[in-house]
Amino acid sequence: MVGVSEVLNTVQMGLAYMVIALPLTLSYRVTQVINFVHIIFITLGAYTVALLGLIGLTNVWIALGIAFLLGGALAVLDNVAVFEPLWRRGSDVLIIMVASLGLWIFYKYLIYAVLDKLFIILRTNTLSVLVRTEGFPSVTLGAVTIDGYLIDTVVTSVVVTLALYLILMKTRIGKAIRAIADNQTLAEISGIPRGRVLNFMWFLAGGTAAVGGVLWALFQTTVTPEIGDQIILQVFSIAVIGGLYSLTKTALGAFIVSGTENIVIAVLHDTFGLPLSFRPFLVFSVLLIVILVWPPLGAGGGLPYRFRIRPRARR
Amino acid sequence: MEFLINFIISWLPIFAIYGILSISLNLEIGYTGMANFGKVAFYAIGAYLSAALTMSVMLSLVGKSVPLYSIEAVQALSTPGTGAIYTHPAAYVGLFVLSLVLAFIVAGVVGYFITYPTLRVGPAFLGITVLAFGEMFRVFMRNYEPLGSTKGLFGLNNPFIWIGNPQLSQGLFALVSLALLLAIYIYAERFVNSPLGRTLRAIKDDEVAALCLGKHVPRVKATVFFIASGMAGVAGVLWTFYQGSVQPDTFVPILTFYVWAMVILGGMGNNLGALLGAAVFTLVDRVLTFAAGMMGPSLIIPPNYLRWMIVGIVIVLVLLFRPEGIRPAKPIKTPAWEAVKEVSEGG
Amino acid sequence: MALDTKAIGLLILGLIIGAAIGYGATAFTGGGGATTPSGGTETAGPQEQQTVTYKIGFTLPLSGQLSSIGKLWEKVAYMAVDDLNKMMASYHLPYRFEAVVLDDGTTEEKALQNVQTFAQQGIKVVIGPAASSQVKAVKSFADSNHIVIISPSSTAPTLAIPNDYIFRNTGSDALQAKALAALVNHEGIKKVVVFYRDDEYGTAFADFFKKEFEALGGQAILLSYASNLADFASEVASLSSKVQSEGAEAVVLISFDTDGANILSHAKDDPVLSKVRWFSGEGIHGASELLQPSLAEWLDSINFLGTRPVFISNPLYEEFKKKFENLTGTDPPVFSEKLYDAVFLAGWAIVRAGTYDGEAIKNALPEVAKHYYGASGWCILDKNGDRAFQDYSIWTIKQVGGEYKYVDIGTYSGGTLTFTESP
Repeated sequence: MVGVSEVLNTVQMGLAYMVIALPLTLSYRVTQVINFVHIIFITLGAYTVALLGLIGLTNVWIALGIAFLLGGALAVLDNVAVFEPLWRRGSDVLIIMVASLGLWIFYKYLIYAVLDKLFIILRTNTLSVLVRTEGFPSVTLGAVTIDGYLIDTVVTSVVVTLALYLILMKTRIGKAIRAIADNQTLAEISGIPRGRVLNFMWFLAGGTAAVGGVLWALFQTTVTPEIGDQIILQVFSIAVIGGLYSLTKTALGAFIVSGTENIVIAVLHDTFGLPLSFRPFLVFSVLLIVILVWPPLGAGGGLPYRFRIRPRARR
Repeated sequence: MEFLINFIISWLPIFAIYGILSISLNLEIGYTGMANFGKVAFYAIGAYLSAALTMSVMLSLVGKSVPLYSIEAVQALSTPGTGAIYTHPAAYVGLFVLSLVLAFIVAGVVGYFITYPTLRVGPAFLGITVLAFGEMFRVFMRNYEPLGSTKGLFGLNNPFIWIGNPQLSQGLFALVSLALLLAIYIYAERFVNSPLGRTLRAIKDDEVAALCLGKHVPRVKATVFFIASGMAGVAGVLWTFYQGSVQPDTFVPILTFYVWAMVILGGMGNNLGALLGAAVFTLVDRVLTFAAGMMGPSLIIPPNYLRWMIVGIVIVLVLLFRPEGIRPAKPIKTPAWEAVKEVSEGG
Repeated sequence: MALDTKAIGLLILGLIIGAAIGYGATAFTGGGGATTPSGGTETAGPQEQQTVTYKIGFTLPLSGQLSSIGKLWEKVAYMAVDDLNKMMASYHLPYRFEAVVLDDGTTEEKALQNVQTFAQQGIKVVIGPAASSQVKAVKSFADSNHIVIISPSSTAPTLAIPNDYIFRNTGSDALQAKALAALVNHEGIKKVVVFYRDDEYGTAFADFFKKEFEALGGQAILLSYASNLADFASEVASLSSKVQSEGAEAVVLISFDTDGANILSHAKDDPVLSKVRWFSGEGIHGASELLQPSLAEWLDSINFLGTRPVFISNPLYEEFKKKFENLTGTDPPVFSEKLYDAVFLAGWAIVRAGTYDGEAIKNALPEVAKHYYGASGWCILDKNGDRAFQDYSIWTIKQVGGEYKYVDIGTYSGGTLTFTESP
């Protein structure tokens, strides 16, 4: 039977997924790059809160803030050092994708190497850490206990989503971001400083994804260096459900996927005895059903393309 | 020199496997512009098909009817000297060849039909559709008891193991893999320089224009997918016989992206580039592994992590300094071009 | 055509560079595992003239799914080789050993690549890989190239094959399942849900447990979870409804460390699961997450009990544990004493074989194991090359001197359950 815990899990997981997937959609929409470093943002966020807890700094809001800054800084660094130079040479987005793959491998093992040193310094196993942090206290409503971490997640995700919405819709720089996403050339002709706007966008995307990583760590409570790798396929599925374009549909996708992972699997397990290990199978079935029944670009894939590969940039 | 020979015979099959995968991915992305993120699915189909076929036929040859993953099966197959793969060499080699053919056909047909949904979702979402299919296949295999579920299948060895001398049999297998790679390379070269190959480039450059010129774009794409997926199936067969076992969790999505890295590093849109990319990537990986074993634990960064960090940095640096890959694409060879060249050089 | 030749030239150049690096590296170490006497390795004693250094390969999961255990194992490996060398010196034996550790990322492909690399470096004895699926991946190469593989942690029943080059310093879980069944039965519980990893370790353990527990008159319901996921909240929710609908009195958890810690931390907040009893095998023992107060308090309150394979009141184990704690500040993780002893077995087998040759070492190893009693107890192997005998202890998490610790409170030996402390 579907109980309260399935519903609460769906909410908490869905919100964390949403905060992680929104920046993926945003950065894809603006740059058309599938960015592997997104995995690192998640891991970075998760480890920020885990390691702070380990050294006794157990305030979740501080962790969220630090994670946002770290994730944002990392994203800007990548953009300045790798993505932007490649773009300026007129590289294909697929080439930039593979460059981000290289960065992902580099960062992932850098994290391992750093954790290896921290293991020796802190004298505790840093490759698997239980999150210890404090935000809101747990609340008991009748028979149902709502975990403090869930409340933290709700508050954070609402604030983050609202902030993203306000920045993108109401500010000048948000408008500039959307202009670049819609038509890069036209945006530049209109005098939008592409480089600076993109850096801002990456800061926002990286920071938000790292915040999402913190929220995911609050949900999962055990943090390992593989944490980002293990959920990236789900996150990517969510972004695809959003058509890699629509932020609203991405948010919806987050709850479709988390509902599948918590409620649908439970129902199928109870009624048909489907093994629980089919959970990832269900996620991808749902993804396929969603994109086949409601193709993100319309039936036929939106020919003529809205998503055609960016024409070779000039020098 | 002993170790060098061993190094090469253990590397060549891996080079062949990834070379075939790269060439097949290159046909899709480099020539036709289809971004396939699920190459690994067809690789897995080839691997599982060959293992299941070979093991079940070999077991029935020695009159055993036990589950493929059981100890009895493994013993009946691979006990040195008395196992079926030692006592029935002709059948074993025959099954290897048959696996190659069947894997090409089965993986190819699956690939052919998988392009149909993409008519609906559009080319932009082809990649994720195939990726989702690959993951569904893997999770299914993890739970499919007759083919071992998480236990996997094992008990095979390379097709020439009955010769006795391990170095000789592995060397022969390495040569066979290399020959297969060459055959596939030559086939791919001929394919892309054929009239159909030129249609592929037309589709890559502008699908709408190709449609307007009367090319049956969906069918051409499905044909390419058939060929490329079949090739991945062949690579899967090589993997089964190289490793001697098949495990579901080998076929994770990241493997596809490593093949992507090889294609992009080598240079999209030319087969030699794909081959080079595969060679460089696998060679760097193996040489670094070799070196990591030599370095000992005293480095500031543990060598096992450093080795991967170097791989990552190399990818980034190659792309930063040679954004078109090691070997950029060239115009296709056509009789018309040759004539033009002859005239220009002659005159 | 000119460009084609250039590319082929590049390829060949790459090959040569690779070969040169490799060759240089081997030349540097003397072209193989068994190095000829050299000045640098003479550390033994004044009367020691010349020492021979053998290399032992380790393929460990330093990254990937099992990295949290693998990282600790790496430390055990270096510690063991160090201790082995001290032992050799104290016996005035002219043999020294060197650990070569490679990361396999918990993948099959890299495990095979590592074993091949060891073979190229002339190393004949490899310790690891961790997972049974990885052992299967390296088996055909090891068998045909005569590389001795000693896995400290593979328990898959399908690998119990006689006369191969695979040795496993850990036995089948059949006996441990019996111990665990006896423990659960002793606690007066008649109906349990077994919640297990869907890999071969978990599946086999769960099947054994079900058989044993039902032989004792209990009832066991099996429920598996996909072992390669990040988070198990939804599985725990299903477990909760299963426990409630079946009216089970306890959960038996068959997991490793990170997944187990994740499951327990979700179960702690579940209204049903936080009230029932929990039992576990050895997989989660030693995980530092369980000692964090938030989790440990709950585990203590529900009287969490587990079994683990360890020889009873073995001072060598206590010594090993203390030493490891001094070195790293953490408890030794699961299977680490098995790994520690595997190194000693490998070392003595090489000494006994008298030559650094795979086949000779393979033949010597069972003989060495017959007479070896180490941190993991008596290492005698059965005809399949797996550990033949094992005692089990009952462990729990308790407050000792204001801190939560793993404590052994009882034993299971020869079919009887004895508590040394009240649970």
